[in-house]
Amino acid sequence: MEPVIRVTNLAQKIGHKLLFQGISFEVQPGECFGIFGTRGAGKTSLVHILAGIDRFKSGQVAILGFNIKKTEKFKRSLGLVTQESSLFRDMTVVENLDFIAALKKASRAAVREMIESFQLQEFLTKPVTSLDIGVLQRVSLACALLNQPKLLILDEIIKDIDLFSRNLILQELEQFLAAGGTCVSTFSNFVFSQSFSKVAWLEGGEMTIYDPEGAQAEWNRQVKYYAEQSGRYDD
Amino acid sequence: MIDVKQILNIAHYEIMRIFRERVLLAILFIVPLLYASMFGLVYVSAILQHVPLGIVDLDHSQESRAVVSAFENTPNFQVIPQVSTYADLEAGMKNGLVRAGVVIPADYSQKLAQHQLTQILTVYDGSNLIYGFNTRKYFQQVLNTFSAEHTAAYLSGLGMTKQEIVNVMDTVSYSMQVWYNPTFSYATFIYIGLVLMTLQQIGLLGVGLTVTREKEENSWLQFLCAAVPQWKIFIGKALPYFIANFFNFGLLLWIAARFVNVKIEGSVGLILLLGLLFDLIIVSVGFIVSVYFPNSLLVTRYFMLISVPIFVASGYSWPSTHIPAVINTLLRTMPYTWMAEAFRLLTVKNLGFEYIADKIMVLILMAAATTFFALTFSKRRKPPAQIGPVVNSALDYPNKNF
Amino acid sequence: MMIRQCWVIMQRELFYMWRDKSLRNILLVGPLLGLLLMAGVYSSQRIGNISTAIVDLDKSSASRQVTTDLKNSQNLQVVAYFDTFSQLEESIKRGEVIVGVVIPENYGKDIALQRQTKVAVLIDGMNIIYATNASSAVLTVTRTLGAQVGIRTLIAKGIQPNQAQEAYQSVAFPEEAWFNPTANYAYFLVLAFALNVWQQCCTLASCMTIIGENGRRSWYQIRTSGISLFKLFFCKSFVHIGILLLTVLPVYFLAFVVFKLPLACGWSSFLLFTLIFILALHGLGTMMSSLSPNAVNASRYGMIIALPSFLLSGFTWPLQAMPQWLQHVVWILPQTWFFQGVSFLTFKNPGWGFVSHYFLALSLMAVLFYSVAALRLMVSDFPHKG
Repeated sequence: MEPVIRVTNLAQKIGHKLLFQGISFEVQPGECFGIFGTRGAGKTSLVHILAGIDRFKSGQVAILGFNIKKTEKFKRSLGLVTQESSLFRDMTVVENLDFIAALKKASRAAVREMIESFQLQEFLTKPVTSLDIGVLQRVSLACALLNQPKLLILDEIIKDIDLFSRNLILQELEQFLAAGGTCVSTFSNFVFSQSFSKVAWLEGGEMTIYDPEGAQAEWNRQVKYYAEQSGRYDD
Repeated sequence: MIDVKQILNIAHYEIMRIFRERVLLAILFIVPLLYASMFGLVYVSAILQHVPLGIVDLDHSQESRAVVSAFENTPNFQVIPQVSTYADLEAGMKNGLVRAGVVIPADYSQKLAQHQLTQILTVYDGSNLIYGFNTRKYFQQVLNTFSAEHTAAYLSGLGMTKQEIVNVMDTVSYSMQVWYNPTFSYATFIYIGLVLMTLQQIGLLGVGLTVTREKEENSWLQFLCAAVPQWKIFIGKALPYFIANFFNFGLLLWIAARFVNVKIEGSVGLILLLGLLFDLIIVSVGFIVSVYFPNSLLVTRYFMLISVPIFVASGYSWPSTHIPAVINTLLRTMPYTWMAEAFRLLTVKNLGFEYIADKIMVLILMAAATTFFALTFSKRRKPPAQIGPVVNSALDYPNKNF
Repeated sequence: MMIRQCWVIMQRELFYMWRDKSLRNILLVGPLLGLLLMAGVYSSQRIGNISTAIVDLDKSSASRQVTTDLKNSQNLQVVAYFDTFSQLEESIKRGEVIVGVVIPENYGKDIALQRQTKVAVLIDGMNIIYATNASSAVLTVTRTLGAQVGIRTLIAKGIQPNQAQEAYQSVAFPEEAWFNPTANYAYFLVLAFALNVWQQCCTLASCMTIIGENGRRSWYQIRTSGISLFKLFFCKSFVHIGILLLTVLPVYFLAFVVFKLPLACGWSSFLLFTLIFILALHGLGTMMSSLSPNAVNASRYGMIIALPSFLLSGFTWPLQAMPQWLQHVVWILPQTWFFQGVSFLTFKNPGWGFVSHYFLALSLMAVLFYSVAALRLMVSDFPHKG
């Protein structure tokens, strides 16, 4: 079966900083692919490349079989939740849903369905700038799912949010995966590592792929290593 | 069918945005009106008359009073009675009490009687050449009349009859006709140029922020990551501004013709065509700039500053025949230069299509090129970089609400 | 300690302005580029060589005399000869010639027989600068030509030649353009337009004074540090005003030393006048800055005033030609005082008694604008965040 994402030798340079120096990976259909890294490792930059937002220096990126440098077609089957909210700040919740549905050519029915699933009824006429982070992320995910994407790209979606919203979001994500969707998500808190089928560890411009257990082992090894250094700084 | 719907949706939400950002709404609909009325008031009198004139009559004879009354009897001058000595005139010219002066020498009548050459000194203020040039013209007019009267008087002194005098003096008559703007209306001359500049500036400042604003609020990513093609984004977002600009174009021209009495002739079809082309260019250029500039502050700053240089160097006021070729060439890359010239040939000279065809052609090419780039802008952005301690040049600018 | 704190704020403000790349470009390059462009535009200095075409339908020696006289006239340049009126009309329509002179058929014969004849002079009035200059040139030429023909006619009628001369030329009308003796357009407008660009650049810089501080997260640092806001904004403004003054110096150097534009009042009074204007203008910008929620709006408010202010100042189209009430209203803008003052000071130097009003008015405006800014800052920042 063809992979949903195939990245070959991707290099990215931002300003004068070489961010990735030739990373390669594949994401298979139905996978929930986690991208881990500390702040500044380039998780968001990678997401922006995969979602077809940013240019990149060199390499090949194929999503759903499309070479993303050549076409926009893959975006029809794409959903994206950004780390920094990218909802329209001058609009209310319902206007955001309606407008983004228009951009994605999604139907009114899809909008109603999302309002239902994410329990947004009471927030509809509120401006998005006044929402709590949990509700905001629910709206963001609802917008991302409007076009019934095959691939969902999430950037730190459940960091620091209230438990109710988090539960709701995870529940919807499970449904999405169960229905055959593929998901790529970044995370910076290692607690979440076990929810993924694979973990890609970004560090120093390189990517290493682990299965969840392997990633946990590596994490434990590093924690132990630094503990043994007992506060002395390594160069 | 659905395609149009998507564009209309984008346009609809852009309009909502305009109405929610009250300053933008004011810039689009109130500022043009404000500027047009302000400039209209400035130029509504249109003709520079009643130039304050100081007459220094050192002779005080009947003949010299004839000179004074020649100046008193024209609406072009207003004789200021406070000035009576040369020192008064000097002081008055310095502090702006008078802008022109006439000095009649003490021996004026005496020399006239002896048929000796005498001279009347005319003085105008060179520090403002709008005053200066007009005053000079008015002087020439008064003095031509005055000379003729003098000659007639002299000839009648020689015993010639009235009819004989007329025959001699009118052997050659010069009829001076000023075409297109016979009253020298300054409003007809300058107002349309200012109106077109206002439209350009308002247009650029409106549409110029449409993408930068989304970038600052990060919602630009929604456009980039959706499968909506770039040409729809351009048309949808630019449409409200295009319509607003065209509305302003009509409104301001109406004000010009109705209240400021600017001469606007020529074919309505061509006026509309020029307006549409200019509007299209402005909206496309503004949009392109908005796509490639990092934030609204930069767009605002740079767009604000271009108006004066373009207006002055375009050849609209100071004629391009008297401007060095380098500057002329540079300014021919500006749509304003072509638009202003074509519009004036059309509305003031009332010329037909064949006379402005070249200018329309250039505007069409410019419109085609700019809309092409606006319709095909890249949906892959250059990733924003943090480059050193630089302020107000990246995605953000000082804002209390961030 | 007190001085050190001020010094640090001022240093930091310098860095802030320098690192704001577009502002840096605008302040460093804008005014100079403006001056150079204007100097280029007006480099021909006066409207001479006005393109003139002659339609000589007569082709007699008398009509050739007219042609010669036109060729010798000061500001007209004969560039074309046409055979028919319609060719001339077409040429004027196309803007190739500005002035057209039509000498009628039988011109020479009519003059010889002392029959009336009529020379038509046409002027393209579309561009007034052209048209006004062309009319003056034409009026001067026709007066001379008329006199010449008149004298000849009188002599032919048997009048004594000296009497004939006297009939036409006993009064001469020398003209003098005071303050700008050659009626040089560059003297009139180059500096003014350059200063117009400069004051717009200054407005953009001034509009950052307050919002540049309280529109950033570092405002919390400032508020928690306990530094007096008066001291902060005083030091900042001090730097701004210094920089704005510095940006105008090269403009003045080029204008007065290199391009030799007139400066009747001398350097010291002119610089002092400029400084007072900078205070008022910076005050205005600061006020806009205090009233705005963000830097874009501050710039917009400032520029909405700065852009048309030159036209309203009466520097070109004179105040006296505006409606009565508007003549008074425009004096609420500091730019009106400035541009009027520039005109009087550079050309005329009317003396302290006259200019002192200008200094007083600009100073009062500065005080007013800064006070509004201070009040607004106190109202908006103390109760909520203090």
